[in-house]
Amino acid sequence: MSTDGVAITGFIVLFALMLLRVPIGMAMGLVGVSGFAYLSGGGPALKIVGHTTMRTVTDFNFAVIPLFLLMGSLATTSGMSRELFRGANAFVGHLRGGLGIATIAACGGFAAICGSSVATAATFSRVAYPEMRRYGYPQSFATGVIAAGGTLGIMIPPSTVFAVYGLITEQDVGKLFVAGIVPGILAVFMYMATISIIGALRPGFLPTGPRSTWAQRLDGIREIWATILLFAFVIGGIYGGLFTATEAAGMGAGGAFIIGVLRRRLSLNDVLRSLLEATRTTAAVFTVLIGALLFGYFLTITQTPQKITEFLGSLGLGSYGILTIIMVMYLVLGCLMDALAMIILTVPIIFPVIKALGFDPIWFGVIIVMTVELGLIHPPVGMNIFVIKSVVEDAKISTIFYGVLPFILTDLVRLAILIAFPILALWLPSHM
Amino acid sequence: MRVNLMDRFIDSIEWIAALFIGIVAVDVFITVLLRYFFSIAIPDAYDFGQLLLGILIFWGIAATSYRGTHITVDLVWANVAPRYQRWIDVFATLVLLFVVTVQTYTLFDKVVSTRDANLLTFDLRLPVWPFFMVAWIGDVAAVLLIAVRTYRLIFRPDLMAASQNIIKPVE
Repeated sequence: MSTDGVAITGFIVLFALMLLRVPIGMAMGLVGVSGFAYLSGGGPALKIVGHTTMRTVTDFNFAVIPLFLLMGSLATTSGMSRELFRGANAFVGHLRGGLGIATIAACGGFAAICGSSVATAATFSRVAYPEMRRYGYPQSFATGVIAAGGTLGIMIPPSTVFAVYGLITEQDVGKLFVAGIVPGILAVFMYMATISIIGALRPGFLPTGPRSTWAQRLDGIREIWATILLFAFVIGGIYGGLFTATEAAGMGAGGAFIIGVLRRRLSLNDVLRSLLEATRTTAAVFTVLIGALLFGYFLTITQTPQKITEFLGSLGLGSYGILTIIMVMYLVLGCLMDALAMIILTVPIIFPVIKALGFDPIWFGVIIVMTVELGLIHPPVGMNIFVIKSVVEDAKISTIFYGVLPFILTDLVRLAILIAFPILALWLPSHM
Repeated sequence: MRVNLMDRFIDSIEWIAALFIGIVAVDVFITVLLRYFFSIAIPDAYDFGQLLLGILIFWGIAATSYRGTHITVDLVWANVAPRYQRWIDVFATLVLLFVVTVQTYTLFDKVVSTRDANLLTFDLRLPVWPFFMVAWIGDVAAVLLIAVRTYRLIFRPDLMAASQNIIKPVE
């Protein structure tokens, strides 16, 4: 069989295995090593398994993932989300759709200390949803806002997905985090604007809440000091060159632990639970990472990225035409698999194309994270939707999807803005 | 082995991995603090950090493989009858068992070659291979646990119900 034939067969087998629920990392590893063995012999193929696996799991740069996961888990457990929601609500709760706006603001704040969209969506399903329903917000809107707000988890640093993208493409994880700040803030404001527009167009659809006094607002600000401190400490440390991304993650985990203990928000059980959660996610992520690196050998030997680059170049669409095709591909893939898997599976193939087209790798990291963010909320496998459904059991999946539709449109507009103005993502990291 | 004993064994493996993640966090936290406030470096802090990372990941993968909380594409699985879901799970677990067994075999080779090469840590000049060996034992545990999962999926699916309910915490 020719090299191209092996590559095509490899991809078919890979997708078949994934559809049969073989863990994505294991499927990638199996296909990658088998394909490599077919072309280069079994001995070298087995050598790369042991070597690549051990090298990956003992690469200290990769510790950024478990440590940020631990920080997020400790922050979630110590109840910082509730304070953020109360603080935001004190300022905007009286506006039409104010509780929705407060939810978005709180999700943005929470995303700044927790790099997980699923954790953000799950947390605010418990914190914000009951409040919104109590004030008469429609179920579709309440769940839609939380689903959209949850996506901020992977855009606003620290972010697991940014870290994984950086590690796969050998980009500076710190720069990627900093690049996510402005697009993340833009997302927060655009979601808020979306809610305000909905409130203005359909005044009877969204209620208003009671106006808080200035004393209550000051109390709200006082309560969120821990979140601000932790974010400033971690991201400020990276931006100021005090820590590497891995060190910042360790300092963040330590900081979240100390803050939680000093405020008596973390019991021994909470800490143990956080450690366990971080361990489970770490193991799942590293399995895919190892698989992706093994699959990378297969891509290299079959020269798949080069051939795809040549093919796309031959279409005569120009760099932005090719970028559009890639974005559409991600939106379609988002119907099949979750964000992290999508990135790990496709970036080794797509990244050389992006570099050949002359796009900035940091900017593309932001663009790709924004695109896969959409996969978290659009049908049929929007992960955030299912997480909300698991908490809000009486909500139908279709109701949540209906509620999130306006935010999907907002995301598409934001994506177009970021593609048109790369400076929005690149300005802050250019000052590091 | 009795069922409750096996479950305790599985939990222990997960707790060992969780303990190591805590140790890595403490290692990084203290190293940075000492560097900034006292200009002191813990000998081999960097090497220990990455070797412990390796251990925690292999032991974590063992528990994750048993619990079925790996990242998967659930599109087909979620849309078929429970009977077919079970067979899909059995197939996926058998593939997992094969892949992890091969990985364990090749990793042992890596442990041996590291010992033969007399690879040492940077500061304390400690041999690296015992750390690799502990990590490798985690991989052996993964093979055992996946075998248990396969057995239970085929013959005792009721025992797997609890672990199937864990939400995949990735993203």
